[in-house]
Amino acid sequence: MPTGTDLPVAQRAVFEGFQHSWLVPLFYVLATVALIIFFYGVYRRVGRYRAGKRATLVRGWPRRIARSLMEVLTSRRIGRRDRYTGVAHAFIFWAFGFLFLGTTTIFLDHDVLGLVAPSLEFWKGAFFLGFSVVMDVSAALFIIGLVMMAVRRAFFSTFRLSYRRVDGKQQDRSAYEREDWWFLGQLLLIGVTGLLLEAFRLIHDHPWFQGYSPVGLAVAKGFEALGMTAPSAGEAHFVTWWVHAFLALTFIAYIPYAKSVHMLASWANAAARDEKAAVVLPTQETGAQTIPLTPIAANLTWKQLLAVDACTKCGRCHEVCPARTSGAPLSPRDLVLDLREFLGGRRGTAAAAQGTLSAAATALRDDGSPLISADVLWSCTTCRACIEVCPVGIEHVPLIVGMRQTLVEEGEMDQNLAQALMNLGRKGNSFGQSERARAKWAEQAGVPIKDARTEHCEYLWFVGDFASYDPRAQRVSQSVARVLHHLGVDFGILFESERNAGNDARRIGEEGLFESLAEKNMKALSQASFDRIFTTDPHSYNTLKNEYPAYGLECEVLHYTQLLQRLAAEGKMQIVAPQDITVTYHDPCYLGRYNRVFDAPRELIRLTGATLLEMPRNREESFCCGAGGGRIFTGDSLYGEKPAESRIREAAGLHGIESFVVACPKDMAMYTDAAKTAGYEQQIAVEDVIFLIERALGIGAKTPEEVNA
Amino acid sequence: MRIAVVMKLVPDVVEELVLSEDGKRLERGDIALKANEFDEQALEQALLLKESSGAELTVIAAETGDVDEMLYTALAKGADRALKLVGDGLQDGIWNAQYAGILVDVIADVGADAVLTGVQANDDLDGQLATWLAAGLGWSFATVVSGVEAAGESLIAKKEFAGGLTANLRLPLPAVLGIQASPEPPRYAPISRVRQIMKTQSLEEREVTAPAGSITVLSLRPPEKTGGAEMIEGDVQAKAARIAEVLAQQGI
Ligand code: SF4
Ligand code: SF4
Repeated sequence: MPTGTDLPVAQRAVFEGFQHSWLVPLFYVLATVALIIFFYGVYRRVGRYRAGKRATLVRGWPRRIARSLMEVLTSRRIGRRDRYTGVAHAFIFWAFGFLFLGTTTIFLDHDVLGLVAPSLEFWKGAFFLGFSVVMDVSAALFIIGLVMMAVRRAFFSTFRLSYRRVDGKQQDRSAYEREDWWFLGQLLLIGVTGLLLEAFRLIHDHPWFQGYSPVGLAVAKGFEALGMTAPSAGEAHFVTWWVHAFLALTFIAYIPYAKSVHMLASWANAAARDEKAAVVLPTQETGAQTIPLTPIAANLTWKQLLAVDACTKCGRCHEVCPARTSGAPLSPRDLVLDLREFLGGRRGTAAAAQGTLSAAATALRDDGSPLISADVLWSCTTCRACIEVCPVGIEHVPLIVGMRQTLVEEGEMDQNLAQALMNLGRKGNSFGQSERARAKWAEQAGVPIKDARTEHCEYLWFVGDFASYDPRAQRVSQSVARVLHHLGVDFGILFESERNAGNDARRIGEEGLFESLAEKNMKALSQASFDRIFTTDPHSYNTLKNEYPAYGLECEVLHYTQLLQRLAAEGKMQIVAPQDITVTYHDPCYLGRYNRVFDAPRELIRLTGATLLEMPRNREESFCCGAGGGRIFTGDSLYGEKPAESRIREAAGLHGIESFVVACPKDMAMYTDAAKTAGYEQQIAVEDVIFLIERALGIGAKTPEEVNA
Repeated sequence: MRIAVVMKLVPDVVEELVLSEDGKRLERGDIALKANEFDEQALEQALLLKESSGAELTVIAAETGDVDEMLYTALAKGADRALKLVGDGLQDGIWNAQYAGILVDVIADVGADAVLTGVQANDDLDGQLATWLAAGLGWSFATVVSGVEAAGESLIAKKEFAGGLTANLRLPLPAVLGIQASPEPPRYAPISRVRQIMKTQSLEEREVTAPAGSITVLSLRPPEKTGGAEMIEGDVQAKAARIAEVLAQQGI
């Protein structure tokens, strides 16, 4: 092998071995046709999105694009909870990227520079050698990644990849599976033929720099061992070249027409993703909409139409959804796929569904049923787990709430839910109890509680419905009052002027009720004198903190665990009775996933001296108790198994758990029941974190009567 | 068919009930009032009739308190007209006999050939309104009805009796029906629609004079606590001992 400076410049001809001069133009004609088909497909898609409603453009595009780029480049959202797929996708993605860039480089060098300034051609020499190594390794990783995906699909019985519907509707979805395999198969063939091309070329030419293509060389050696000679390699190269080119060009052409559209739409969707999706629901001004159960494109925003296209059918949302897990007819994946199929055909290529808005509002499909059924919509707990896991940033909850608004408008709801809404409208609480009884719990707290309407206080405590009226949660409120009093916090409440904050009403789809509650609360708040707000209830916390600013609320809003964490940081918490118990902690959806408060309750638990064991599903992955989004009012209808029971069983699986600690009044109610019905009442105590703190501070030993005395 | 649904406000027993100083009536200024829940059943039944057989639906309520929201909600649910009866003395509340006396003329003017109202109310001290109305109008009448269907010039009313017996009665129009329950629970009216209706529609008002009442209340008082349940606490032994003690005391 020649060495040193006497080497010829490393390079190779582009259309090497083409005997007929007309073959080169033929390739260019085919490539142009492929690009035309590609761009036509993109144009059709974009046209569909443009048929949607305008939505206020979310700000910060540079940051968004950078964020989504990072997510895509690192496969971070794909690799979460699934290393294997994350690695395989990263291989495919990066290798595809390099191979695609490589091809573009050759194009630029040969077809652009070669024509206008041949002296500038750079695909040679040292660059060429580095290029060869990268391309060679990429091809290998590409194939490995694809084979990993194929193995997973074929041999791991991964639940999330099963397309079986959960709502009992019969639908033949084998076409989806064929499409998935076609996608994998075609990419694999492109990769393999590419590698073969390299090997055949090496057998044919054996250039001095063949060592810069290690994988290709290994394959070449293999073929030579099987008896392949230079001339036969030349012939094979010619045929393989065309097969490879054909596969690659058809792949490009059909990108916007099939599963591969995710390469475009998913990235675009990830860039448009709203980090506050579901946390702040859109209002009329920001593109809120009542979505019919059988929507046409004009009923959705362009963003929602794009999202529906972006779904890769990965099934992650399907896997984690507490409704789906509990046997309800809702699968967030199928919701998205149903919308996609209806709006644009199975591949999303059909023209925008036509029709007038008013006709669409009442339209039914051929079989007389709406596209998305009421049962599906009422199954959602708005836990946000689907949004959290979706690797491409699809926002299911605002879609569901939009369609729920239609159900509310039509009065199509569970009787208990209707009763709760009427109670909220009339009495400002879902219990239907007297407004005047709202602060009755305070009489038993054993400590004085200021009236924020008449006295200034540093903290206004927004107590919330459950913490005010539910007997189990009242104990939590009383304990919170005693602890804060003990720590010398200056706080007061609104007594009967407080109303339900409306978080659930809004997520039920009763926007008018939310507005009326928010207005009443804002009126009461504006008449009170305070510096900051804290809440007991994560649901109230969410809407006060994130949605009330639109109604004029300007102060800081805390959850009581955050307030206590602050006091602890200031050294105000003197632990006199360390709690020597082993506990686990359940992240409430509206505190954790919605508002990222994960550490405050955990720090408090550790502060009391308790040992905290985490359940397998913790923090962002926490499993909903089943109470959110109004489901606490609908009872157990639609659900086979109670999510809360499944959660208690999860906790019971941990070794030596004595206490199941919560930080939400609704959880107190849900899990006390679930521990009973699941048969763990004797084994696991359900308690609020405040009980631990109260005991640790040495004030918990007293009953309210003793404190009063 | 023209249907009139007669509604009224009743004391909300979830809230505290306050007696007047002379102990003869409730202090209307201090108690909360709400729509009689049986009247809401009657309204739902009327809405179902309207939907199934087409009818013009007028909701009527005397202003014995703030009836606006109740009437607007009825409009939001699908009633065609809402008629508020105003006049001196109504704010203190009226007897059903007086209410029926007022309504006879009103219903004639509305041109209704069917009147639906709740089977009873928690403040029915002088008999049920439906009965008084039927007597006043002299129409055919059924009460404790739990389902109504239109059948040409008559109505078929379903009535349930003790022991699981059900009767279907044919009532020639005009007719008065006291509704116990509608086949469907009362529908929910979204707040935004109620607000919308308040902006775009107005209530019709009609001046009325209540005839004199004939009954005098001598006294009114909250029920006296009698007996009650005792929660027996303690371990099994203690509970058993206490139960034995109670049984012995009662001479059982
Ligand atoms: S929010 Fe929760 S319950 Fe609703 S679809 Fe998503 S995962 Fe399922
Ligand atoms: S919506 Fe998102 S998480 Fe669900 S299947 Fe589609 S891509 Fe996957």
